[in-house]
Amino acid sequence: MFARHGEGMTTDPRSDLTERSREPAVTVQGLTKRYGSRVAVDHLTMTLPRGVVAGFIGPNGAGKTTTMAMLLGLVRPTSGTGTVLGHPLGDAAAYLGRVGALIEGPAFWPALTGEENLRVVATLAGHDAGRIAEVLELVRLDTRAADRFGQYSFGMKQRLGIAAALIGDPELLVLDEPTNGLDPAGTSHMRQLIADIAGHDRTVLVSSHILAELEQVCDWLIVIDGGALIYQGAADELLGQAAPLLQAAPEHEGDLDRLALLVRAAGFDVERRGGTVSVHLNGDDPRAAAAALNRSAMGAGIALAELNVRRPTLESHYLTLVHGATR
Amino acid sequence: MIRALRAELVKVGRARVLLVTAAAAVFAVGGAAVVLAAAQPAAEAAAGRGLTVEALSDAGGGTQVFRTAASFAGFFVFVLFVGAGAVEFGRGTFRTMLLRQPRRLPLLIGKTAGLLAFAASVLLVTEVATWIAARLLAPSQGVPTEAWATVSGLVQGLGDYGAVLFWVTAYAVLGLTLAVLLRSVAVALAVGIGWAGPFEHILQDAWDPASRLFPGLLLEAFVAGGTPQVSAPRAFMTVAAYMALAAVVAGASFARRDAVA
Repeated sequence: MFARHGEGMTTDPRSDLTERSREPAVTVQGLTKRYGSRVAVDHLTMTLPRGVVAGFIGPNGAGKTTTMAMLLGLVRPTSGTGTVLGHPLGDAAAYLGRVGALIEGPAFWPALTGEENLRVVATLAGHDAGRIAEVLELVRLDTRAADRFGQYSFGMKQRLGIAAALIGDPELLVLDEPTNGLDPAGTSHMRQLIADIAGHDRTVLVSSHILAELEQVCDWLIVIDGGALIYQGAADELLGQAAPLLQAAPEHEGDLDRLALLVRAAGFDVERRGGTVSVHLNGDDPRAAAAALNRSAMGAGIALAELNVRRPTLESHYLTLVHGATR
Repeated sequence: MIRALRAELVKVGRARVLLVTAAAAVFAVGGAAVVLAAAQPAAEAAAGRGLTVEALSDAGGGTQVFRTAASFAGFFVFVLFVGAGAVEFGRGTFRTMLLRQPRRLPLLIGKTAGLLAFAASVLLVTEVATWIAARLLAPSQGVPTEAWATVSGLVQGLGDYGAVLFWVTAYAVLGLTLAVLLRSVAVALAVGIGWAGPFEHILQDAWDPASRLFPGLLLEAFVAGGTPQVSAPRAFMTVAAYMALAAVVAGASFARRDAVA
């Protein structure tokens, strides 16, 4: 079953990673942040292994940004402990030089050019300003480097934020909703960018509410809701827990009842949805089940107009997790 | 701290700001013309109002023009620093800076020092420009300038520069403190303008100790070389105490408060 509330941190998504990992990139124990009577983060305990691209998932107000802000030394935890790159949370100066971050959107000086903004950031952090051209090229802003930040589109601002996060060649990258507000092309580019900058033992923690995007780039997932942990572990493991669904639609809707009876008689859980029947495949081979269903339908004189296997998506599984947690 | 200072200089050192500096220098030259035009012989001048021709004829006359012209801009300088600090919160750029320089006190000190270093260079340019303009304009107003280009004139010029720099530094510290505490451009400007503008001056008329207690009035008295209500040294000491208190309050607030909600 799923690892809930800090249990079962046993799966490493990259088999060769375990040996390289000296210590997790991030650990927190009982991390809590209260604003008066409101609890933003509630005794959160989680571990982020090194080298993973981790999706940080939760509904709006779940505590994702506050958690990230605490990891980055921007917000003081009410209670709890933790480490980032081996250093305690309270000593952000010891690790932030090896961390790149974009949190709560890109914030820069509008009268400065993209290149000048990165120069300010590099100077402040003590990073090599010689990398500015390289990171601008990586985020495809090299041709607009001399334009003022205030003239950038939202997508360009987001990309400059990523460039600023990358300028120190960080070991840990923390990105808070980097695809927020981007159009489909911008989102696709951002997803590719995250995939490109992952690797080389770099750990990426990225929050997003567009789960389809995370599904494509993340190999590790942390799900929180109401400030508390719902799941943490390998993305494959989470998705592997969900049973695929076989959907069949007869050519004539009048055959729907007979088709449902046939499937039920074969011992499957069946559900009628509109003009289709949905079959829950609990451990059955989807391909074999589809073939068996097709044969049975043909034998009963039912022509199937549609027959497909639906794999569980991160979104569907996430909704199950969050719904189950709040029930 | 040094990195924060250098980063601030990267921000203010760009070409557009240099244009602003040039504009400030032009403004100061205009101020010099006004100060000279307003100067009257001591026998005709109203007591305590404006500079006299005799005072301007002294060795420090050239830079006294600069000091007097600069004093007209006190309110502007205060508003400038309130805005420069508060806008960093409003835009979220303090958050951007804290991600690169998590040591908060060095960041705040470095930023303030960077702004003051820039202000110091602007003041220097402005003082020289004002002196040159005053030297050119003075004969038309009947002000002799023979004593200006002397060692004594240079020493007094340095003194005037130091006084104006202290005056700007005080406005910077008080303005940035207001920005750090209120974290909103609109609120900080409203409070700052309300206090330094009508509030202090209304109370000044109604309550005699106001001139010796309120920071804005003390700064006006200091840069004017003292007033009947408060001497320049006393104004200096009181303002310095206010600056120390403001720095402690701003530092404590900036170091402890969360940078995001």
